[in-house]
Amino acid sequence: MIEVKNVTKTYGKKQNAFIALDNVSFTIPDGASVAILGKSGSGKSTLMHAMSGLDRPEKGEVVIDGEDILKLKTKQVDKFRASKIGFIFQSFFVQANETVSDNVSLPLEIADIPRGERKKKIQAALEGVDLSEKIGSKAKNLSGGQKQRLAVARAIVNSPQIIFADEPTGNLDSVTGDKVEKMLFGYNKKNGVTLIIVTHDPELAAKCDIQINIKDGKVESIRDTKPATKQHTRKVVS
Amino acid sequence: MRLTDTIKRAGRSLRNAKARTLLTSLAIGVGAFTITLSLAAGQGGRAYTDEIVTANTSVNELLVTKKQPEANSGPKKYEDTGVSAMAGSMSNPGAADIAYLTQDDIKAMEKLNNVTSVSPNYSPSVRYITREGQDRYVVESVSTFSPSVTLKYAAGSVDGNLANDEIILTEEYAKVLGFSNPSDAIGKTVEIRADKLSAPVSAPENKLFPFKVKAVSSKSGFAFRAQGSLLVSNDAARELYEYINKDTRAYGNFLLASVQVNDEKNATSVKDELSTKGFEAQTAEDVLGAINTFINVLQGILIGFGALAVLTSIFGIINTQYISVLERTQQIGLMKALGMRRRDVGRLFKFEAAWIGFLGGAIGSGMAVIAGLIANPLINSALKLEDVTLLQFNPIAVASVIIGLMIIAIAAGILPARKAAKLDPIEALRTE
Repeated sequence: MIEVKNVTKTYGKKQNAFIALDNVSFTIPDGASVAILGKSGSGKSTLMHAMSGLDRPEKGEVVIDGEDILKLKTKQVDKFRASKIGFIFQSFFVQANETVSDNVSLPLEIADIPRGERKKKIQAALEGVDLSEKIGSKAKNLSGGQKQRLAVARAIVNSPQIIFADEPTGNLDSVTGDKVEKMLFGYNKKNGVTLIIVTHDPELAAKCDIQINIKDGKVESIRDTKPATKQHTRKVVS
Repeated sequence: MRLTDTIKRAGRSLRNAKARTLLTSLAIGVGAFTITLSLAAGQGGRAYTDEIVTANTSVNELLVTKKQPEANSGPKKYEDTGVSAMAGSMSNPGAADIAYLTQDDIKAMEKLNNVTSVSPNYSPSVRYITREGQDRYVVESVSTFSPSVTLKYAAGSVDGNLANDEIILTEEYAKVLGFSNPSDAIGKTVEIRADKLSAPVSAPENKLFPFKVKAVSSKSGFAFRAQGSLLVSNDAARELYEYINKDTRAYGNFLLASVQVNDEKNATSVKDELSTKGFEAQTAEDVLGAINTFINVLQGILIGFGALAVLTSIFGIINTQYISVLERTQQIGLMKALGMRRRDVGRLFKFEAAWIGFLGGAIGSGMAVIAGLIANPLINSALKLEDVTLLQFNPIAVASVIIGLMIIAIAAGILPARKAAKLDPIEALRTE
């Protein structure tokens, strides 16, 4: 379970201060697929950064598994990200000069997974995204869709608890985008991993169990379309 | 992150920028080349002087002279002694300014502890050398054979000491005395004529001293002293000297004496004792030390140039690594987002610098070794060094040059590595 409580983040100082997140609170149950929906500049990316421990809001709590990650030391936050979180970015951020296998291996190396276990995990992750036959290719020789699938493999290889996907289909055409979406949702359902998609695309957001609308740094509305968690649905009046 | 993984990733990043890596490491390579060559030259030079010294003196031997009176500055007042300064032997001219060793001095030296023997430098000036049916040839010098001085033989050899009726010829004398090759001369008799200097001009006295050829020495690149000298035993030299110089004014006065000590370790203490008694003594080590100091200074200068090249390359490394950090902002951001610790990010860049240092060191010293292998035979033939290698590469020295450069490279990589470690992942991932 992820509990976001009264998170406030301000950029700049005094007169130039810009409030990116204004007293944001919500709860996400384990295994849910969540869309953080908002326009560019709404604060949705800042929210993702705060929830993943990349950024430190000045106020509030982000409690994951009963622990406030905003109170952890840098080293512990790093460890938390390495062991529990997977990231997918709009512009893939795969290492073009490295092989597919080395790209996927990076999170395992960071998390100190012994060499013997890595190969199996890498193969399993690549099978999951249908890229097994490309294991030895350089990432720069892949198509856009393949690169994003590689990024998905990198995100899931260390069996994370939460996957953050920042506009995962933003740079893809609709056909390859659909394929990547299916993979993400499939993985989310099959493994019970919490999937948090940051997007401005209402169509993609509609496919998620929960949609959190962000506007001007505030939570405008939260919609829970999943029947089992219907009772969470409520309108937040700001 | 594991160290091996970090090192591997560092190596991989460098391979992705081959030209840049190579150029940066070549700058260090120049320094490594110079330093490795100077170390090799220093080692070879010291080995060479070692050879020279053992070919000319023995470690158990001290060369002793009388302490010379302080040289007065300015012209000296003439003192009428009534005797011509040049009267006497040609071999031991009694020039008034030089203090000579006397028989008493020699006896005093013999009494010192640890001294086994004292032999004055007789160097008798004989008239000529000849043998039956051959022409007469002028003898430049007759010296005393010392078993502890290394000689090179063209034929025959001397085991231990030379007998009193034996002589060692040089190749040149063997040739002019009609021997078809050096080994032909072994066992044959040659004659040396000596003139008695004290005999009146009206009734000259002279004598032929026969010697059996024991060995023929060949020219050596190391020997200065024995070059061209005919070598006889100490007693034979004394006999010649006595015959020639007896009853002259300079008789019993020697410029130089060699003192044999019982052990190399005692050479210095004997030297000190001689010094308090009014003598000046030089050990083989003194000679070696003087030459080695010179070599060390030269080597130091060369290493200085190498260090300068390394210093320049440090800025090259810093620059390259800064550019690398800028280029890979996104990669660093991703790694940090995935939970890579600051320390590991810094390490990654430090290892990259270390790789550059290793590459530069290996290229530079590798080239130096190759250059040395090519240059050694050329130097030898140019300087007629025979079988001495003037550039001697010591694996430990080469390894320490490489390791040293790696450490320097890591130090140069600290600032860029810190910049990488401090990068804010959010900012880094925003750059497109």
